Amino acid sequence: MLRRGSVVRRTIATPIILSALILALAIFTVWSGSRPFNQTVIDVLLRVMLVVGLYIFIGNSGVLSFGHIGFTCLGAYAAAWLTMPPMMKGMMLPGLPGWLIATKLPYWVAAPIAATFAAVFAWLFGLVLMRLSGIAASIATFAMLAMINKIYSNWSSVTGATSSVVGIPIVRDLWPYVIAAILCIVIAWAHAISRAGLKLRAARDEPVAAQASGIDIPRERLVAFVVSGWVTGLAGALFAHSLGVVTPDTFYLAMTFMALSMLVVGGMSSLSGAVLGVLVLSLLIQLLRGLERGVDMGGVALKIPNGLQEIALGVIMIAILMFRPSGMMGNRELVWPRARRRRAADAAPRSSTNTQPTGVHR
Amino acid sequence: MKTLGADRVSVAFAGLRALSGVTLSVASGRIVGLIGPNGAGKTTLVNVLTGFQAPTEGAVTLDGVPLPKLGPHEVRRRGIARTFQGGRLFRDLPVIDNLEVTGVGLGQSRAAAIAEARAMLDWIGIAPLAERIAGTLPYTDERRVAIGRALMGRPDFVLLDEPAAGMSAPEAAELSALIRRIAGEMGCGVLLIEHNVGLVLQLCDHIVVLDSGSVIEQGPPGVIRASDKVRHAYMGTAAETDLPVPEIEG
Ligand SMILES: Nc1ncnc2c1ncn2[C@@H]1O[C@H](COP(=O)(O)OP(=O)(O)OP(=O)(O)O)[C@@H](O)[C@H]1O
Ligand SMILES: [Mg+2]
Repeated sequence: MLRRGSVVRRTIATPIILSALILALAIFTVWSGSRPFNQTVIDVLLRVMLVVGLYIFIGNSGVLSFGHIGFTCLGAYAAAWLTMPPMMKGMMLPGLPGWLIATKLPYWVAAPIAATFAAVFAWLFGLVLMRLSGIAASIATFAMLAMINKIYSNWSSVTGATSSVVGIPIVRDLWPYVIAAILCIVIAWAHAISRAGLKLRAARDEPVAAQASGIDIPRERLVAFVVSGWVTGLAGALFAHSLGVVTPDTFYLAMTFMALSMLVVGGMSSLSGAVLGVLVLSLLIQLLRGLERGVDMGGVALKIPNGLQEIALGVIMIAILMFRPSGMMGNRELVWPRARRRRAADAAPRSSTNTQPTGVHR
Repeated sequence: MKTLGADRVSVAFAGLRALSGVTLSVASGRIVGLIGPNGAGKTTLVNVLTGFQAPTEGAVTLDGVPLPKLGPHEVRRRGIARTFQGGRLFRDLPVIDNLEVTGVGLGQSRAAAIAEARAMLDWIGIAPLAERIAGTLPYTDERRVAIGRALMGRPDFVLLDEPAAGMSAPEAAELSALIRRIAGEMGCGVLLIEHNVGLVLQLCDHIVVLDSGSVIEQGPPGVIRASDKVRHAYMGTAAETDLPVPEIEG
């Protein structure tokens, strides 16, 4: 009989390898000394946080969510409320309570608070949404996103409505983003190997048997929803600090599409897939951006029309869905090369033969 | 000593009466058989007893006290376990993890669940299968893993929905030895649904026969064997389908 080590020992390779990748990227960036590249990598790290956040819920539950960017919006505005100079808040957002206007926290204190604010809303929404399944649940998450966007686009005394909220302290240093991205990866891993993660994946793969195994499916979904709400909220807070400006539409359909396509391309039920999806597609986006601006290749100007970026993303996503629906990683995780054969189970790949959750046999 | 019962349970699906006033009970350590032709309502009764299906009328009782309306996971946590006609293993997980999930679902730590799962596989006699991916198992092994999963956390009752379907005679004999041990050694109350009537007659202390949602006969094996009503019910379907064929469904 094979003896197994603890769950932690068996799976720790994944977060270590992924963190090492992030660190390598960061070190390369610092070494290159390029300011624009620094900003590009900050964007990549923010996307890592977003997509890892999505993975925590979508990957483990199998329920597609279109709503998580709503939590990013909540996190971003909460960070703005907590870190802007009181004078600017008093002028731009007079509807905020007095104590909040007077508050000015360092960004690294504000960000986890903002993430927690987003997580509280994830819990409130989740209490209702997690009772739904399949397509109904997905549509409801989309409705949630639209609601959050509409509220933030219209409540001018608190959110500045559609006009930009400016004066958010800008953080250009790369390391806070590196630390946050690695933190998100570790959180996702910890959830995946926790009892909650195990139960949720069981419910995803065989919901009827999961219930007959004592698993409370809405509850386990809610746990993942709140954890992923925290992570996407944290990403929102740092987004705000990377830009210095927020508007509700920054956190709406375009960002949802981008994050979901990266998750799909990487592999929806794999943490490694979430991270690699971001890295690969970000590289591609960078190349396309370069082409949109035009490159001179030995006297021949090569330029592609604007908008091709989104179109290319869409084409890649559709191609992946058609030819490799489980994504680049095929729902596996990165592990030490020699351990690969032994471990497939803890990350619980969903078999390609598995269809939609079926109803109870009656 | 515990008793699980159905008290005048009826279930109606849009115009179809799947169960009408069914009463039965299973006590700790006893094996009760539930037989009847295809579509008689056997699985529906298991669904009612395990919280997957709310009865239209009647109630499920535990030690004579009606259970409140509970979800399937809550019923399981009260010690009422089941298997499914189609197996329904977690196909991508190794066998050991299939059992672990249930232990964890019942509130154990992962380590405790793994330890119990190992002991359980050993007790059933399938320890060498521990690391096999469940979806790759042959049919008979799949059945035994499903039973092992249901026995995690030592439930008071286990409801087996056609565990012998598709098994050869020697395999079925091995299975019946296992079922005896579940009742004898573990003290579980067993409700056994089977189309293999021979197996049921040989294993059960008490047998309930369902036809079209109603109990048409019940009693010890001798009574069932001699019953004209039972023979008639089975002949009725036999005329159309040759024999009550074991059926695989999900
Ligand atoms: N969800 C449902 N909706 C409508 N009708 C149902 C439902 N579930 C079961 N039925 C019907 O109820 C009747 C009893 O079904 P059930 O599955 O309980 O029979 P069974 O005795 O388990 O049969 P088998 O031996 O084939 O497994 C059948 O006529 C079936 O078609
Ligand atoms: Mg049945």
